[in-house]
Amino acid sequence: MKILVCFKAAPNVEMLLEEDWVINNELQVDTSFVRNDLGSYEESALEMALKLSDASDDLGIPLELNALTVDGSGATPILKTLSALRFATVVRIQPRNNLLFQPTAVASIISQYIRQHALQDVVLLGRQSDIGENAKTPLLAAEMLGWPCITRATRIEPADKKHLIVTHQVDDGYAREKVRMPCVISVGDAPCTYLRKPTLRDRLDYGKKDIEVLTMEDFQLPAETEMLTGLEILHHERAGVVIEGKSPAEKAKVLYEEHLKPVLSGKEVKR
Amino acid sequence: MKFKCILNGWAPNVKAQAEELNSFMNSFLGNGANPASTILFYANHEDRHSLPGLVPTECAEFVRIDRCQPETILEALQRIEDKEDTSLYLFPAGFAGAELAVRWAFRQKGSSLVQVEQVAPREGCLIAKKKAYADHVLAAFRLTRQPFCISPANGSVDRLPIAARDNLQIIEHDLTGLREDAFARDSQRIPAEQAKDLGAGKFLVVGGRGLGSKEHVKQLKDVAAAMGAEFGISRPVALNAWGPMQWLIGVSGTIARPDVCIAAGVSGAAAFYAGIEKSKIIIAINSDPQARIIKAADVAIIDDYKTVMDELLKILKPIKPAI
Ligand SMILES: Cc1cc2nc3c(=O)[nH]c(=O)nc-3n(C[C@H](O)[C@H](O)[C@H](O)COP(=O)(O)OP(=O)(O)OC[C@H]3O[C@@H](n4cnc5c(N)ncnc54)[C@H](O)[C@@H]3O)c2cc1C
Repeated sequence: MKILVCFKAAPNVEMLLEEDWVINNELQVDTSFVRNDLGSYEESALEMALKLSDASDDLGIPLELNALTVDGSGATPILKTLSALRFATVVRIQPRNNLLFQPTAVASIISQYIRQHALQDVVLLGRQSDIGENAKTPLLAAEMLGWPCITRATRIEPADKKHLIVTHQVDDGYAREKVRMPCVISVGDAPCTYLRKPTLRDRLDYGKKDIEVLTMEDFQLPAETEMLTGLEILHHERAGVVIEGKSPAEKAKVLYEEHLKPVLSGKEVKR
Repeated sequence: MKFKCILNGWAPNVKAQAEELNSFMNSFLGNGANPASTILFYANHEDRHSLPGLVPTECAEFVRIDRCQPETILEALQRIEDKEDTSLYLFPAGFAGAELAVRWAFRQKGSSLVQVEQVAPREGCLIAKKKAYADHVLAAFRLTRQPFCISPANGSVDRLPIAARDNLQIIEHDLTGLREDAFARDSQRIPAEQAKDLGAGKFLVVGGRGLGSKEHVKQLKDVAAAMGAEFGISRPVALNAWGPMQWLIGVSGTIARPDVCIAAGVSGAAAFYAGIEKSKIIIAINSDPQARIIKAADVAIIDDYKTVMDELLKILKPIKPAI
């Protein structure tokens, strides 16, 4: 069973200060000076793939883990970590320009990679990237491949060589289903899926492996039908009145007397 | 611009979805100005009688299918919409709506946008806005290829009750037995732990990563319950399994509209804040004076949340002995 996890490193924008939020001429916010982290859904996807690999080992089902990113060289440290975590191939496709708001292009590159370079049984992606937030790439990849898609997965278990058992969020809770491969799985809010750390030994033994880098010469891009035309920074300021006091007890008293008492006694609250 | 609402009658919250679409239509597509109809999917004969009450438009098509899987709905749509000249499809905000919008647009060679906050039809195109950059920015997109397929953002509009209609025009389709070859089998439903409408309470307490442990989450929940408040959590708390995902507040969970919200040990990230920004009063308790939530709150206490809550308990105990 071959599993491809597609991921993207994203700048941690929670580190930006109020004054850093500026829109430049290319209709982007400059985030080049903040650290790149794994997108939160992609991190879950990678850890879920590793958990699936552990469980498949236990059942004697052979499984190969692969990772792909369509991104600049900023993703290299993460790719090295994935090598150390024993992903069989780690590939980076270098885009010509920023594809932040071009999910159709990204999905097209992913599906061409799978068709022309490395056929897979399952493609695992985060449901939404932290910065572009398009929430479309897994769905478009499934359509382009002509494969079914399971969305908002929170747990993936092996069933046999041709099937997986996938738990995923639905409108009224969760559904747990036996799913036939090939398929695309988009990962949702999955508890306990922080990416594990490779051992030092594995970093030395596997983490030094070269990363395969492909250029866009191998890929054709479709026309985007949704064009970004403007960005507007959102501000969330309120009065921010800080309750002063010598001790937590004093502060709690003011909080109760001035703000909570009216609520607890059922008085109407106005903004 | 001719448009259609698509509703999934299988979803337990279909009424809320229909009311949200009703409100979205009214806000952005001109009340009655554009010719509109609704396609409603359902499975059981017993549900048929309640469908007219869910229709936010003058015309409707009721489509009976076997399974609520997106694959089946897409195939059914393909059958009934084959020769249609619809310009805009409006899907609901739930999980399935966002999925269907993207996949349907792809199959129809149209364009799509999900988690949409606002739309404005223009000559030959649609301008739609949604949040980006971890919800710090509102991004505007021009959709150029019809049909435009849209799914609103969770909680982007208030619900608007659906007016009863005597003259509803209905077309019926029976598409049961459509897709034998289901790729997912042995489906087992696991209902949400909290079916209650978390967003509807008047008083909400939310705990963030600053709570530090599962035990502290439980303690704060008990305090909230004793004060008569609903209790919610931020995403890291849910991802650490300190509380169930159904308690999640924010863009990925519930958008709450309480009178008063106490946010304890949360930093106020934009994706979280969207879930409490409709509160009339926001009270933040955070040990870090630089935390974003301080400026985004009406009132703030800069201190350890637990000490403050313990002190608050001491005050409340004589008044509310149940605590
Ligand atoms: C696409 C997308 C969707 C998302 N959806 C959601 C969502 O729906 N809901 C959501 O919550 N997040 C969501 N997030 C994540 C969000 O961006 C933040 O990562 C998250 O909200 C942070 O949670 P937090 O404030 O609890 O944790 P942190 O950011 O770690 O903040 C913890 C806070 O606790 C304070 N603290 C620590 N100890 C104490 C103490 N003893 N007393 C008082 N204060 C203390 C700290 O000063 C800090 O400010 C989403 C992210 C993305 C990219």
